[in-house]
Amino acid sequence: MGLVESGKMPKSLTKLLNMSRRYSMWVYQWGLACCAIEMGAAFASPRYDVMRLGVIPLPASPRQADFLVVSGTVTDKMAPAVRRLWEQMPDPKYVISMGSCANCGGPYWDSYSVTKGVDQIVPVDVYVPGCPPRPEALLEGIVLLQERIMNEDMAERWKGDPIVVE
Amino acid sequence: MSITTENEQLAYIASQAADARVNVEVETDEGMTLNLGPQHPATHGTLRIIAKLDGEKVVAAEPIMGYMHRGYEKLTEVRTYPQVTTLINRIDWLGSFANEVPFILAAEQLMEVEAPPRAQWIRTILFELSRIANVCLFLGDMAVQVGATTPVFYAFRDREFVLNQIERVTGGRFHPNFDRIGGLKDDLPKGWIEETRGALDRMKSFCDEMEELVLGNEIFQARTRNIGVIPGDVALSYGLSGANLRASGVDWDIRRDANVGLVYDQVDWKVWTHPDGDSFARFWVRLQETREACNIIEQLLGSIPSGPIMAKVPRIIKVPEGEAYVATENPLGEMGYYVVSKGDLTPFRVKIRSASFSNMSITPWILKDVFVPDIISILASLYFILGDIDR
Amino acid sequence: MADIPEHLLKRAQAAREKAETEQPVDEQPSSEPAETDTAVAVVEEEVIDVDEKAEKTLNKIIEGLGEKVLSSHIAPNRGLWIRVSSENWRQTAQFLHDELDCTFFDWLSVIDWMPSPYGRELDTEQDIEPEQDSTEPEQMEWGYTGGDTRFQLICRVYSISNGIGIMVKADLDNQSPRALSLIPIYPGANWHEREAREMFGVTFDEHPDLRNIYLPGDFEGHPLRKDYPLLSRRMKPWPGIVDVEAMPGEDK
Ligand code: SF4
Repeated sequence: MGLVESGKMPKSLTKLLNMSRRYSMWVYQWGLACCAIEMGAAFASPRYDVMRLGVIPLPASPRQADFLVVSGTVTDKMAPAVRRLWEQMPDPKYVISMGSCANCGGPYWDSYSVTKGVDQIVPVDVYVPGCPPRPEALLEGIVLLQERIMNEDMAERWKGDPIVVE
Repeated sequence: MSITTENEQLAYIASQAADARVNVEVETDEGMTLNLGPQHPATHGTLRIIAKLDGEKVVAAEPIMGYMHRGYEKLTEVRTYPQVTTLINRIDWLGSFANEVPFILAAEQLMEVEAPPRAQWIRTILFELSRIANVCLFLGDMAVQVGATTPVFYAFRDREFVLNQIERVTGGRFHPNFDRIGGLKDDLPKGWIEETRGALDRMKSFCDEMEELVLGNEIFQARTRNIGVIPGDVALSYGLSGANLRASGVDWDIRRDANVGLVYDQVDWKVWTHPDGDSFARFWVRLQETREACNIIEQLLGSIPSGPIMAKVPRIIKVPEGEAYVATENPLGEMGYYVVSKGDLTPFRVKIRSASFSNMSITPWILKDVFVPDIISILASLYFILGDIDR
Repeated sequence: MADIPEHLLKRAQAAREKAETEQPVDEQPSSEPAETDTAVAVVEEEVIDVDEKAEKTLNKIIEGLGEKVLSSHIAPNRGLWIRVSSENWRQTAQFLHDELDCTFFDWLSVIDWMPSPYGRELDTEQDIEPEQDSTEPEQMEWGYTGGDTRFQLICRVYSISNGIGIMVKADLDNQSPRALSLIPIYPGANWHEREAREMFGVTFDEHPDLRNIYLPGDFEGHPLRKDYPLLSRRMKPWPGIVDVEAMPGEDK
C-alpha cells in the first residue's frame, strides 16, 4: 500500500479502511502480574464481554495481533522479551499499557528490578491508570484506542501524543 | 563452550535463558530441548520451563523464575508499617486480603496489641472469602489446562459475586489494603451479611457444578489420576504446604494446628486430606476446601460479636524491637512473615515466606520422567501464582 | 515535608523507651546449658505465659547438642530461637530432623544486621548523602539470641508431630560468608539457598548449582545487603514521607 504511506489516500477510502480496522482487532494479551487477572476478567468473563467492541482476544500468536495489552509489572529481566514480542507483531500495531506498573513502575517505583514504565521499551498509545484498573477501565482504553484508529491518518501514525484515560 | 554432558547443556541453556535474550531450541543427538514460556498460556504468568526431552519423555526440567521479581523484601525496608500492607497485598494477587493478615499479626505480636473480637471475626470472614476468590479461579484454570475450556468462564462469572462482596467492604476488588495494626479500617456495610449468604449459595452451586463437570469427567480423570504423585515425606522435605501437602496425605493445617489471631477455633469445620498425592487429589482437596470455606463463613456470619473494630494504637506506628514470625494458611499454602524490628517506623528486615516458592521448588523433582502434556497438568495442579514465587 | 506533631513523637518515644526497658536483655553466648536455662526462666518470669512446649523442646535440643547451642530464646507462644555456629549448621539441622522430627522445611534466609548507611531512606535529605562515613560503621545490634557478625543465617524447621517450629540462627564470617548446604537433609533448601546467595552473597558449600534465581545473569551486587542503594530513591523524592494526615474535622 504505497498509497497509504505517501499520504495520498482519498479521504473516504481512509475512513472506510479505518472503520474496518477499528472493529476487527485481535488483541494479544501480555499478562504479567495482578493486572492480568483484571484483563482476564475483561476478556474471558461473560460479564464484561470484550467482543461486543469488535475485539477478539486470545490469538494464537503475536504475529496475528493488531494490538498488545501490556498489563502488569515489567521487570528488567522481562523487558527484552516484551520488546521482542512487540517486534513480532505486524504493522500497524498499537500498545495499551494497563496499570500503574506498566505505566510508570507503580508501587515499585523504587525497586531495583522493575522497569519504570513499559514506554521505555515500546511506544504506547493508551495508558490506563489504576492499580489494578477495573475491567471497565480497560474497556474504555480500548474504546479510546478505537477512536484513535478511526481518526488516524496512516501516514501520520506515531506522531501523535499518547492518550490518557481519565 | 564445549558441551559434553546433559547437565552442562542444561546449565548452559539456563544461563542463556536467564537473560531472556535467546529463544532456546537446541537439538542434539540424544534429544531435544523444549522451552515453555516465559509467556505461555499454560504457565499462567511469566514462568519459564526448559525441559529436555527424550521423545515424549521429560529427562530433566528446569524452571526459570524471576520474570516477576519485584523486590518486596528490599522495598519493605523503606516503607512504614502501614505502607507495607499496600505493597504485600500484591504478592498473591488472587487472594490479597490473606496476604495482609500474617504481616499485621506479626506486627501486632511485637506491639502486644490484639484486635477486638469483632475485627478478628471479620478478618477471618474476609480471609476465607479471599480463599474462595482465589481457589475458584484454580478450579476453572485446572480444567482449561487439561483441555476443557468452559469451566474457566464459569469460574470468572461466579468469582465476581465474591469479589463484589469483598469490594463492598473494602472498596477494592482485589487489593483491599483493609487490615490495620490493631483492627480493621472499617466496619461492615449494612445488609452485607445477607448478601454474602447469597454469594455463598452461588459459590456452593458452583462447586457442585465443578464436581459434576470436571471431577467426574473421564478425560479429566485420565489426565490427572496417578500423574505427578508426591509422597508425603517428599512433600514435607520440600516444604510444600497447603492443599498440596494435604493432598499427599499429611493432615496438617495451620488454621487448626497453629492458629494465630483468627477465630477458626470458634467454628466447626473439617480439614480435608487425600491419600493419593496426584494431580487429581490436589484438585479434589481444593474443591472440598472451597466448600469448607463457605461453611466456615456461614457459621461466622451468624455469630459476629458486636463491639469496636479497632484497638487503641498510637497514630504513628512504631513497632518495638523484636522478631516475630507469623504464618497463616493462605489459599496457596503457608504464607508467613518474619519481621525484625528495631523500634523504627519501618521494619528492619522482612522475610517473606511465600507458599508458591516452596511449592514450586519441587518441580525439578516431579517433572522427571513425565510426558510432555503432563507438564501442564502437573504445574496447574501444583497451583502457583507468579507473584508468590518471585515476590 | 509535613512535621510530625510534637505530642505524637513524644508518645511514640515514650512507648519505645518503655518497650526497650521491658525487653529482656539478650544473654551472652554461653557454653553452659545451665546458664541458658536460667536465662530462659528470667524471660518467663516477666511474662505470665509459660510456653511449656517450647521449654521442653529447648531442653531436648540442649541435651542433644550440648555446647553447640550458643544461645537461645523463647518468646512464649511465639517461637523458639537457637543460635549455633556456622560450622555446626548442618549438624544442627540433621539433629533437628532426626531427633526432633522436624521434617517440614519451612524457609531459610539471611539477616544483614549492619545498620543501613543511607538512613531509613524515608527523607529526601537523607537520600542524597549517606548518613555517615561507611568507614566508621554504626554499632550493630542483634535481635533475639544475639550475634557476633554482620550476616546471620536463619532457618525455620517445623515438627508436625510435636507442633513446634524452631528457628535456627548461625553467624557467618564477615569477609566470606559461607555455610554448608542443607540439601542432603532438606532438598527444599535448594532454591532458598540460591536466593540467599543471590540476595546476600552467602556461599553454600556443596550446593550443586548456585546460579541466580531471580535476577538477570549480569546483575551486579546483592540487593538485600543493607549497603545496596535503591538508586531510584536518589533521583526522586519519596512522596509519602510522613504517614500522618489530619482526620476529617481535626485541625492539623
Ligand atoms: S498496577 Fe497494581 S495491580 Fe497492576 S500489576 Fe502493578 S501492582 Fe499489580
